[in-house]
Amino acid sequence: MTGRRAGRPLVPAYLSTGGVAQTGRPPLERLSVLTRSGVPVATGLSADLPAAAHALLDALEDGSLTVVEAAALLRLPVSAVRVLAADLIDQDLVLARPPIPPAERFDPDLLKRVADGLRTLKHD
Amino acid sequence: MIELPDLVAGGLAAGTLSALVLGGGLLRSRRQQAAQRTEITALRAQHDGATRVFMAEVEHLAAQRVPAAARRLAHPHVVVPGPLDPQIAGAPLGLALENVLSGLRAELAEQRTRIDAAAQAGMRGATREIQAALYRLQDALRGLQQRYDDPELAQTLFQLDHENEQSLRRAQVAAVVCGAWVGLAREESHLVEAVTGGQARLAGYHRVRVHNHLEPGTALVSHAVEPVAIIVAELLDNALRHSAPDTDVLVNLEHVHHGVCVTVDDAGLGMTQDERARAQRLVAGSEPILLTDLGDPPRMGLAAIGRLTRQFDLGVDLSSPSPYGGVRAVLRVDSHLLSRIDPVEHPPAASTPRSTRRSAPQAPAAVSHGHDGGEQSHGYGAEPSDDASTAVPGHQASQADAGGLPRRRRRTRGATPAPPAPEQPALRPEEAAAALGALQSGTAAARGHTESARIAVPEETAVPGHQASQPDASRLPQRRRRTPGATPAPPAPEQPALRPEEAAAALGALQSGTAAARGHTESARIAVPEETAVPDMTVHDTEQTDYEGGAAR
Repeated sequence: MTGRRAGRPLVPAYLSTGGVAQTGRPPLERLSVLTRSGVPVATGLSADLPAAAHALLDALEDGSLTVVEAAALLRLPVSAVRVLAADLIDQDLVLARPPIPPAERFDPDLLKRVADGLRTLKHD
Repeated sequence: MIELPDLVAGGLAAGTLSALVLGGGLLRSRRQQAAQRTEITALRAQHDGATRVFMAEVEHLAAQRVPAAARRLAHPHVVVPGPLDPQIAGAPLGLALENVLSGLRAELAEQRTRIDAAAQAGMRGATREIQAALYRLQDALRGLQQRYDDPELAQTLFQLDHENEQSLRRAQVAAVVCGAWVGLAREESHLVEAVTGGQARLAGYHRVRVHNHLEPGTALVSHAVEPVAIIVAELLDNALRHSAPDTDVLVNLEHVHHGVCVTVDDAGLGMTQDERARAQRLVAGSEPILLTDLGDPPRMGLAAIGRLTRQFDLGVDLSSPSPYGGVRAVLRVDSHLLSRIDPVEHPPAASTPRSTRRSAPQAPAAVSHGHDGGEQSHGYGAEPSDDASTAVPGHQASQADAGGLPRRRRRTRGATPAPPAPEQPALRPEEAAAALGALQSGTAAARGHTESARIAVPEETAVPGHQASQPDASRLPQRRRRTPGATPAPPAPEQPALRPEEAAAALGALQSGTAAARGHTESARIAVPEETAVPDMTVHDTEQTDYEGGAAR
């Protein structure tokens, strides 16, 4: 696995977004899942995208990532990845799916009880 | 008695003769005296004149020549006037006066160096402290950036970090000019990182466009990293300062025969011949640097570059004008300062511009992914233990595809955000899998309900890539948990919008349906163990709950 390079990073995080941390849209959640939309990057646009946006697109090329995962992968703060992702979403290059709220997940206890019930039925 | 008049006459004659002789002598001596007197007068006049000339020369020396000679040390264009009387230039007096001046000059130069050295030492000490303090501040700011992601706070932190970088650059450059070490030991880094790092230290970094034409993995040996970053920052600072705010500054990184060249072009004013000569002299670093030579306020950039080029054997050239009208600065890094970092193992920072080259051995992967060598295949949600585990077909396939490329590094840290889920000690995976596998077959009746609910889920349609990747397991890695779970049924992994009521209804229907399906349990259990071996060991807790949720549907 790739080791994290020790020492002080040479390139500060603000460079990735040009010092911007706020976007017009409501901020993405940390666990929002980012996916490549499949829209190819237009050649004209390609030059305008910041390098970190390219890195994010590359990271998403092989599958979906949550915002925090992308941040860890790119070694950037979450706030920077949010800005990058928001820009890419605005350009339809990336799709975002909000995280599953815990309330809407199945209650693990309920499932456990179902499984236990099934097991007792089976052993009966 | 006749002899008497003879005697008298003889005596008279003798007297007359002696009188004549005496008179002549007297006359001669008088004439001589007069001549001597005129000679004395002439000599006195000459002496007075010489003294006056001497006094005038000394006064001229004190009033004009000495100050001029002293000023000339600092300002070489000052002309030291010659003696008042050009005649004495070659005379002993002229030579003596010249000696006075040269002695003065030597002593002044020595004093000046000594005073400057003292000033440099004082400044070195002060800037060193400031630099260390700013590094600590930087650490604190970066820690805060990682910890807090509120957009407003993050914006402030970015600004503070940038301000801090600029202060740091000033302190560091001042220290370097004063003969200090660069103040930071770095490890071997990508050259493009050093350049981008230098760019980030400037107020106008938005205007800098870096074009990286280097082979991916071109790196600097550790001791050259910080000097290159400083030099690039100073060259860029000059370029940004002397060009209009609406023009770009172009940086090109290219391989040359003896190493790598970093070319900085601006479309600014350019330099005159004199300025260019002075700049070239400064960056060559061949002359000792005096703070007092750098102006007020001291312009330290070029002087710092000069120090560093001499210390680290780098080459900077400012002699050619830029085709854009401004200045072209070329930093040459020779091969002995270059090294290589595996760009896959240690990719450069995300914000560094990507190379326009593709490295040969990674060409297939790079082409297929539209990426230059830093490509990492990865699967969503897989774990570090995947490396060892062989129970993940999707992931394996992707490794084979990628031609031996290392897999993504995110795994080590990817798990951190997941909230710890409750332990489920009572339920063994085999049992769960078997029971749930049986459920799946029982769900057929309830499936219609679920399907309609699934269609209604808007988010699902928003993730086509992920959905599509599942059937294509040979190509793309996928969530591991799905692989075992997905065997009997094609449940979509993310069906978040299934509302509890619907789920409850479906499960209620299931419950009744399962009684009939119980017979299947035995066969299902036989089929399951190999697959579930991995979840037992490695599945993350959250994923486990996820798994159950997905499979139960």
